[in-house]
Amino acid sequence: MAADHGPKQHKARYDMSLKRLLISIAAAALLAIGVAACGGSTKTVTTTAPTAAPTSGNSSGKTVHIIASVPPTDHGWLGAISKDAKAQAKQYKDVKFELMQAADADSQAQQIQQAIARKPDALVVLPQDGAALTPVARQAEKAGIPVINIDRLFTKPDAATATVLGDNYQIGVLAADYIAGQLKCQGNVVEIQGLAGISVTTDRSKGFRDELKSKCPNGGIKIVASQPGDFNPDTGLKVMENILQAQKKIDAVYTHDDDMAQGVVQAIRNAGRDKDMFLTGVGGSQDAMKQIEEGGLYRATFLYNPNMAATAVNMARLVALDKGFAELVPSEVPRQMVVPAAVVTKDNVSKYEKYAFN
Amino acid sequence: MTAPAQTADTRTESAFVSRLKALQFQEYALVIVVIALFVVGAILKPDTFPTWANVRNMLTQASVVGVLAMGMTFVIATAGIDLSVGSMVAAAGMFAGVLIGDTGTSSLLFIVGAIAFGTLLGTVNATSIAFGRVVPFIATLAMFSIGRGIALLFNHKLPVSLLDLNGGSFGDPGTFSLLWFGTGRILGIPVSVYVFLAITIAGWMLLNRTRYGRYVVAVGGNREAARIAGVPVRRIIFSVYVLSGLLAGIATVLLCARLGSASPVSGNLYELDAIGAVVIGGTSLAGGRATIVGTFLGVLTFALIFSLMTQLDLSTEIQQVTKGAIVLGAVLLQRPEARY
Repeated sequence: MAADHGPKQHKARYDMSLKRLLISIAAAALLAIGVAACGGSTKTVTTTAPTAAPTSGNSSGKTVHIIASVPPTDHGWLGAISKDAKAQAKQYKDVKFELMQAADADSQAQQIQQAIARKPDALVVLPQDGAALTPVARQAEKAGIPVINIDRLFTKPDAATATVLGDNYQIGVLAADYIAGQLKCQGNVVEIQGLAGISVTTDRSKGFRDELKSKCPNGGIKIVASQPGDFNPDTGLKVMENILQAQKKIDAVYTHDDDMAQGVVQAIRNAGRDKDMFLTGVGGSQDAMKQIEEGGLYRATFLYNPNMAATAVNMARLVALDKGFAELVPSEVPRQMVVPAAVVTKDNVSKYEKYAFN
Repeated sequence: MTAPAQTADTRTESAFVSRLKALQFQEYALVIVVIALFVVGAILKPDTFPTWANVRNMLTQASVVGVLAMGMTFVIATAGIDLSVGSMVAAAGMFAGVLIGDTGTSSLLFIVGAIAFGTLLGTVNATSIAFGRVVPFIATLAMFSIGRGIALLFNHKLPVSLLDLNGGSFGDPGTFSLLWFGTGRILGIPVSVYVFLAITIAGWMLLNRTRYGRYVVAVGGNREAARIAGVPVRRIIFSVYVLSGLLAGIATVLLCARLGSASPVSGNLYELDAIGAVVIGGTSLAGGRATIVGTFLGVLTFALIFSLMTQLDLSTEIQQVTKGAIVLGAVLLQRPEARY
């Protein structure tokens, strides 16, 4: 602070900035490694992608610019969604495809707003939260950019030109059928839900409850606990540990997701109660299919195939080119497509293994 | 308006005595909250809640966030914050999982790898804060993001199974195998609880019985005064973030041991539970005041709330409102002296 310390301080500040520079370079290097590794993994994705030639309309004079916006791909199923969309886009020479990931609903809305300003030919959106992203999707539609909605529904019909979704309600129904059949309408069931407050969770839960009521009108099956596991294995583990404390008799566990179910499985095994109950998942991950094949605790999963993202890319391209599905009369892109759910058990797992994702 | 009353207070008893009373009441207050939650659980679930099996389960669950909260106490004592502990848990687990490889079976390699990588990430935080002069909030927010990112990168976003590490049979995991730390017991008490208690006691000794502990609190209380008094401020600040990383590594081992795998999405928002436990325990976010006993009770409070509400099978929305209300009530109960 004093004047006679001037030069020394100056040197100190210079040292400081040199250090800062070094730290910045180190940080940049770290980032570069990250990006390179990312690039690397993307490459492996594209090489392992299915190489079946697309059926028709491989190229047309015009280039179609499609921007897709999805939640972060830190979850098996969401990761597969991104992979499948990218792989499908790669098959068309006339498609210029960009994939954006957003950490939360707000940043996804901002991303889509920026995307609208760039005037792509179509948007493919798997919203973090359908209700929260409805306004920005409508904005895109109003600006003349068709929006293809995947999986989590927007809350207004004019927010999307076309929608492709799995049948979450039907998954709940199939799970209830399976569990009721195995238990012969008599027993205690635990439900480990996904993330609270999104339509996927609500539908998987409602389908399950409705079907249990109609399938077992005697009320012999009791849902003794129903808690969210946030699609996260370690939340699933903790929630199940507590439920195992509270419930001394559990016959079956219906989980909303294969990834999360791995934590639930571990809680049951750690408690040494894996002989007392069985468990079902949703999604169709490789891990789940492997365990179903081995037999034991994991009895079934209900397919919810991420390759609906590839279908969405096809739809986006057709809409942008003003074409339609050849099978529809007249040839158009349907407003809504529901991908059927399927039950995977030990008996038929070999047939579905090729669709498993990781 | 309240000024006259305050002066009357200070006249009747010395500042030291009134402060001592306030401190005692604070620690008692949280003990009351913990006991009250347990009693409520015992009344509502008399068959299953007040049982040794349930207490054991709650302590096991508390151990992961508990270990993180001990490190967080030291960080917050210096008026810092570490937002990256949850991400460091995920990154350390994935690093160690990839380190042992597809065919590896070494529990020791996993444990050493996880702790080393946690410490490394903590050291990166420490360097950017103590030497890069980045404010702790931003430096650890960056690590929150970077840690999660590299956790996803390590194995192409996939979890790593750890069930085949040596001694990895269920029910009877071999001593010192990874799974033993998650499910093993000594004298009926889970190994992870011993680890948590040992770290709590070590943390208490370090904070209250060593010169280092006094330095940590001094740095948080008044940095300039500490510097003038000869405290190596920069080194102290550096050390608490390294400690936080080291403990994140240990928490990783406890979590992965129970989960039987390392998952890139694990540890999500653990930092909020850890910070919450530290602050409701009575450690000041402004630094200069820290209590390990308070943190321990804070961790128990969170574990009890979570356990009670899932066992009562309350719906999510009710759980969230209740949890918030209990946390707010606990803090109001123990801070009658905070006046504005």
